[in-house]
Amino acid sequence: MHTEATPAQADVPELELVKRCQNGDTGAFDELVTRYRTRVFGMIYNMVHSEQDAWDLAQDSFLKAWKSIGRFRGQSSFYTWIYRIVTNVTIDWLRKKQVKGSGTEFDDAVQLKEIDPASRTVPKADSLPHQRMERQEIRARIDAAIQQLSPEHRAVILMKETEDMQYHEIAEALGCSIGTVMSRLFYARKKLQNLLRDLYENV
Amino acid sequence: MKTFEEKWTAWIDGELTGAELAEFEASLPDKGAAEAEKRDALKLGTFLKEQLACHAMGNEEFFSHQLREQIAKESAVPASRGTEGGRAWWPIGRLAWVGATALAIFSVCAVFVMRENPATDQSQYLSQILNARVDPVVSPNATITMFESKEDRATVLWVDGLQSLPSEYASK
Repeated sequence: MHTEATPAQADVPELELVKRCQNGDTGAFDELVTRYRTRVFGMIYNMVHSEQDAWDLAQDSFLKAWKSIGRFRGQSSFYTWIYRIVTNVTIDWLRKKQVKGSGTEFDDAVQLKEIDPASRTVPKADSLPHQRMERQEIRARIDAAIQQLSPEHRAVILMKETEDMQYHEIAEALGCSIGTVMSRLFYARKKLQNLLRDLYENV
Repeated sequence: MKTFEEKWTAWIDGELTGAELAEFEASLPDKGAAEAEKRDALKLGTFLKEQLACHAMGNEEFFSHQLREQIAKESAVPASRGTEGGRAWWPIGRLAWVGATALAIFSVCAVFVMRENPATDQSQYLSQILNARVDPVVSPNATITMFESKEDRATVLWVDGLQSLPSEYASK
């Protein structure tokens, strides 16, 4: 059994990799993870606003994907399929967190992690402190606005606006109808327009 | 039939075409305001894309490494569970045999116990009371009737012809 993605696998079509995974090839799965980990992590991060939680949820999502890869029939793209797992895992987590009422969702640690030298999110060395602060303030405003949306509305607007997913892909990923996606998109946009208008009009 | 929200969203995203588009635009009470709203929504989309896109994870290789380790761990656990499970859980056929045997043993024991203690009209407890309390010398004509009151869930002992009531029977 392979444990590492081989360079050759970088050129293998997605469906072929999935078939290999279904035969227990962890190397093929490793390649799929490499292809999607950044997008998956980014998507989760935008929903939960904590790097540590996003990391853990992304791990959890990929682990679930590995366990259930045998049930993937290839009727949709692997990307849509993994997004369904990701959104289920993340929405469940957000709901549980809401029930527990563990306080504000925004993790201040993110602010510190964003200046971690090992992270790609590090501002460029020539970025001035006030620019950095401004960027952080904008991000905090967006995060706070997104936090006011329900997990389902968050998922819809993020998939549409940051992932460029089509209505039917979002519907498939969320397990709902296209009409529901469009309706959620309507309300999520309205809400964010009201909350962020001054920002995007001026930035 | 699409709702207004669905049509509006499709219109913002340029998904309405042909007759549907013309019909929707004709239904708008203030097209100028709607166009402004559309521009605003598109601006929001661009803004979100710029600000939220590419929050890359640090240590991507470590992420994959950690995941590989978890998968290896998960793969090892079910295998060992499977072996233990095979030992711990009996096949259904064997369970059925054990159940039938237990039932047979229980039936034999029940029959044996019932033969040892034949059912009598009077309970042993009642006999003890009668022997202890009704002295044939003192109360030769005493009759005792017992009946069960199901409604009150009680067994009533009706004693008639007692010459004297033992002092400890006096109601307290």
